[in-house]
Amino acid sequence: MAPLLFISILLIAACGLIYELIAGALASYLLGDSITQFSTIIGSYLFAMGIGSWLTRYISRSLVTQFIWIELMVAVFGGFSSSILFLTFAYTQGFRVLLYFIVIVIGMLVGLEIPLLMRILKDRFEFRDVVANVLTFDYLGALGASLLFPIVLVPQLGLVRSAILFGIVNAAVALWGTFLFKGQLRSPQPLRFACLVVLALLCAGMAGAKHVIAAADDSLYADEVIFAKDTRYQRIVITRWRDDTRLFLNSHLQFSSRDEYRYHEALVHPGLGANPSARRVIVLGGGDGLAVREILRYPNVESITLVDLDKQMTEMFRSNDILSKLNGGSLASPKLHVINADAFPWLEQNTDMFDFAIVDFPDPTNYSLGKLYTTAFYRLLAKHITANGMIVVQSTSPMFARQSYWTIVETLKQAGLQTYPYHTYVPSFGEWGFVLASAKGATYSPPRQLPKDLRFLTVSAIPELFEFPADMQPVAAEANRLNDQNLVRHYDREWRDISH
Amino acid sequence: MRKKPTPVKLSRRDFLAASSAALIGLGLKTDRPIAGGFVNESFQLGHMLRDRQPFPKTTKTEKFPIVIVGGGMAGLSAAWQLERRGFHDFVLLEMDKQPGGNSRWDENEITAYPWAAHYVPVPNARATFVRELFEEFGALKDGKWEERYLCFTPQERLFIHGRWQEGIEPAVGLTDRDREQFKRFDDLMQQFRASKSFTIPTQLGIDSSHSLEIAKLDRISIAEWMQQQKFDSTYLRWYVDYACRDDYGAPAAATSAWAGVHYYASREHEEKGPLTWPEGNGWIARRLIQKLNRYIRPQAMVHRIAKDKSRNRYSVLAGDTEFIADAVIFAAPTFLAPYLIEGMSPALTKDFVYSPWLTANITLDRLPREIHNSETAWDNVIYDSPSLGYVVANHQSIRQHEERSVWTYYWALAEKTPPDARRFLLEKDWAYWKDAILADLSRIHPDVRDCVSRIDIMRMGHAMIHPSVGFIFSENRRALVRSHTGLDRLFFANSDLSGISIFEEAQYRGVTAAMKAMVALGKH
Repeated sequence: MAPLLFISILLIAACGLIYELIAGALASYLLGDSITQFSTIIGSYLFAMGIGSWLTRYISRSLVTQFIWIELMVAVFGGFSSSILFLTFAYTQGFRVLLYFIVIVIGMLVGLEIPLLMRILKDRFEFRDVVANVLTFDYLGALGASLLFPIVLVPQLGLVRSAILFGIVNAAVALWGTFLFKGQLRSPQPLRFACLVVLALLCAGMAGAKHVIAAADDSLYADEVIFAKDTRYQRIVITRWRDDTRLFLNSHLQFSSRDEYRYHEALVHPGLGANPSARRVIVLGGGDGLAVREILRYPNVESITLVDLDKQMTEMFRSNDILSKLNGGSLASPKLHVINADAFPWLEQNTDMFDFAIVDFPDPTNYSLGKLYTTAFYRLLAKHITANGMIVVQSTSPMFARQSYWTIVETLKQAGLQTYPYHTYVPSFGEWGFVLASAKGATYSPPRQLPKDLRFLTVSAIPELFEFPADMQPVAAEANRLNDQNLVRHYDREWRDISH
Repeated sequence: MRKKPTPVKLSRRDFLAASSAALIGLGLKTDRPIAGGFVNESFQLGHMLRDRQPFPKTTKTEKFPIVIVGGGMAGLSAAWQLERRGFHDFVLLEMDKQPGGNSRWDENEITAYPWAAHYVPVPNARATFVRELFEEFGALKDGKWEERYLCFTPQERLFIHGRWQEGIEPAVGLTDRDREQFKRFDDLMQQFRASKSFTIPTQLGIDSSHSLEIAKLDRISIAEWMQQQKFDSTYLRWYVDYACRDDYGAPAAATSAWAGVHYYASREHEEKGPLTWPEGNGWIARRLIQKLNRYIRPQAMVHRIAKDKSRNRYSVLAGDTEFIADAVIFAAPTFLAPYLIEGMSPALTKDFVYSPWLTANITLDRLPREIHNSETAWDNVIYDSPSLGYVVANHQSIRQHEERSVWTYYWALAEKTPPDARRFLLEKDWAYWKDAILADLSRIHPDVRDCVSRIDIMRMGHAMIHPSVGFIFSENRRALVRSHTGLDRLFFANSDLSGISIFEEAQYRGVTAAMKAMVALGKH
């Protein structure tokens, strides 16, 4: 009988370690920073085991019954730990609290096991043999578990199924215990029944694990990633869910195909529609070709120059079927000249003139991008604009980043331009801002006619875009300069405030 | 064509050692080879003077009303002043192939880069000559500074407690007590600033202030002054010590309190700066050299200046030519004067102490990873490092992505006394300094060794004047400033006369010496 007994110790020990590893791995996987996650989880777990060991002093009667109940509780908590945690992370805000709660509960229960077992066995064997054997098998179990976990369990079963599998092992040990220690049990039948119930529950969990994983994943990765690539300059990710295609650059959303028409119509038409004689247009950034699609609605426009840093981006939006459907094949237009270059130095080395310039850069999330929002940049750009020409700049949200928005307006002013700020609502972005700019002294009047087939803008709606409600009204701002990029600091602060 | 494999014989023992090491992954990590060496060495020429070695006889004679000795910023500025006042009959004698002195620069396929001076703080209204020069070169238009020449954001960062912070004034890990001391220090500096005694050029403030209190500052070191004022915050002391090493090449304990205060109290911040360019102050030197090229004689090392008392004129010997001059502007470092000028007493320059420096231009063919995605600043400083950190030469780039760079790394050898430090500087070979630099940089960029392809090192024994205790208000310094040296029509012009080695001082000294020379010749 002794060998069987010690094998059950080995199994219990393995289970205990597995739950700890699962909690650590899950936390690092979901929260990142694996050093912090593992060390805090191991720490809390060991501490909870200490509490468990200490609590055994209050258990004085029917040790075996208590032991079996504890095993069953470990089986349930441990077995379902990763399922519960995954779902909590996916659907609630309370992941961290629950994580440490579960770690502490399992730790306490596991801490109860070994001292109780030793006391159960102390009358059967010499005390020194009890200590030696129990601890030996305890540590052996731990070794086995720690090797099994990375080599077999995680790759083959995943975290959800591994936890349930070891829950089943725990419950099986409990059931087995009712036979091993039947001499010390007064009425084993109810206990055996409980064991069977827990086993059934866990087996059902095993069968349903697929659904748990799917439910958690669906909510973690909202949409299916159809494309992901690290180029020299950025990480491009494209996701799709039903009819919604989304583009992310460095994990910042650039557009959602469901409402991008609002953004791009608002970006292009208030300016270009007001200048029917415009022949030469330049787009800076905007490698997705969506702004170009809107420009191509003007038959008078003879040439479009698209300057985008990333060749992989313009290539992809030209050749990929799904993406070129979105931009209507605009990147293959014979009117278009694609130039894969850095916009600032390109403007400096080039002397071409344009009637309309569309500045569609990513938001100023760092000092490098921030250079493209400075007085120096706008001054340089203005030199490429004909006397009656205009510039439009995508300028982040005047609602969520009000200071940033009005900083961009002020920067254009300080660059010697006349500004006409406006905004519109894009559901996937929220309220979004743009600034039209012209040479000083020029006047702007909204378009009297728009291309056919627009889905969003109407001639009568355009003047309303220039009205700012109370919560987006101008605020005092200083220009963003190469030597004093306050815009990046404002932007960082304002968007951080939103996300917290 | 396939290369024939060379048969390699391995002893059984070597084989076992190699294979067992490979098996457990113990192969020695090999660093990539890094090219480079010492560059722009000039101390050999200096030592010829010091050791009074014989120079060749002169074979030619040329006559000029004014001869400028030395083509650093002071000499170039003297020439600039003469030229713009319509005086064209002069010559500038430069020892090196390329003038520029501490504003020398170089260039490789990635970027231009400086060898020493790399910025000019945005000059305030009192720095008239500096503003005039920048107007001439297009950096100042209608009272506005050209944005591309002002240092781009982020300007400075400090690596402290394992992370980067913006700005060099320590902000991480400070207690309330530390913060209180920084605040009190700032308030005191504000008072000194308000006294208008600390100016750039320094001479203006010294001439206009008759406060004994302020003159007394020169009698103690800035470290002692900090102690008297009960400043004991480790962070504040580091901050002040860093400033002294950075601007004067010496620790706080060896720097005059007057100079220490001057660093903080002399500048008003009217615009976020400083002014900087890839080649540093080489940008200014390059333009001056271009403009004044016809007056400049490179590789003309002056080895003797003697006064012909009967004819009241000077004989300046440089290489094989004797230059006969009515007046001389001595713009070379002042400590050289007694070695060159016949009859000049060495006692006059005994207070002139110079700090030795090392600068390295480090070529990186890829950029190292940044800890916590911090963005590389223009000036990158490591708290508690003996070095002064590095400056990114292509920081003033309007591009989105730079894949390569040149870093100018500065190291003032401030721990030892200047003579000991000079000996140490010359004693150690290039590999020693290369390893020391990489070890320092590895603290902030663990993979820096894999990114560096070249390290060129410039050793400067007398890099900059050191405002030691008592120097600013010393009689000898004042005598040299006023040209009260018994040498009629010989005007000293080096920035070391100000006790502070910065562009503005060099320019001021050069321009005023040129003005004095013209007055002396009746040409104004």
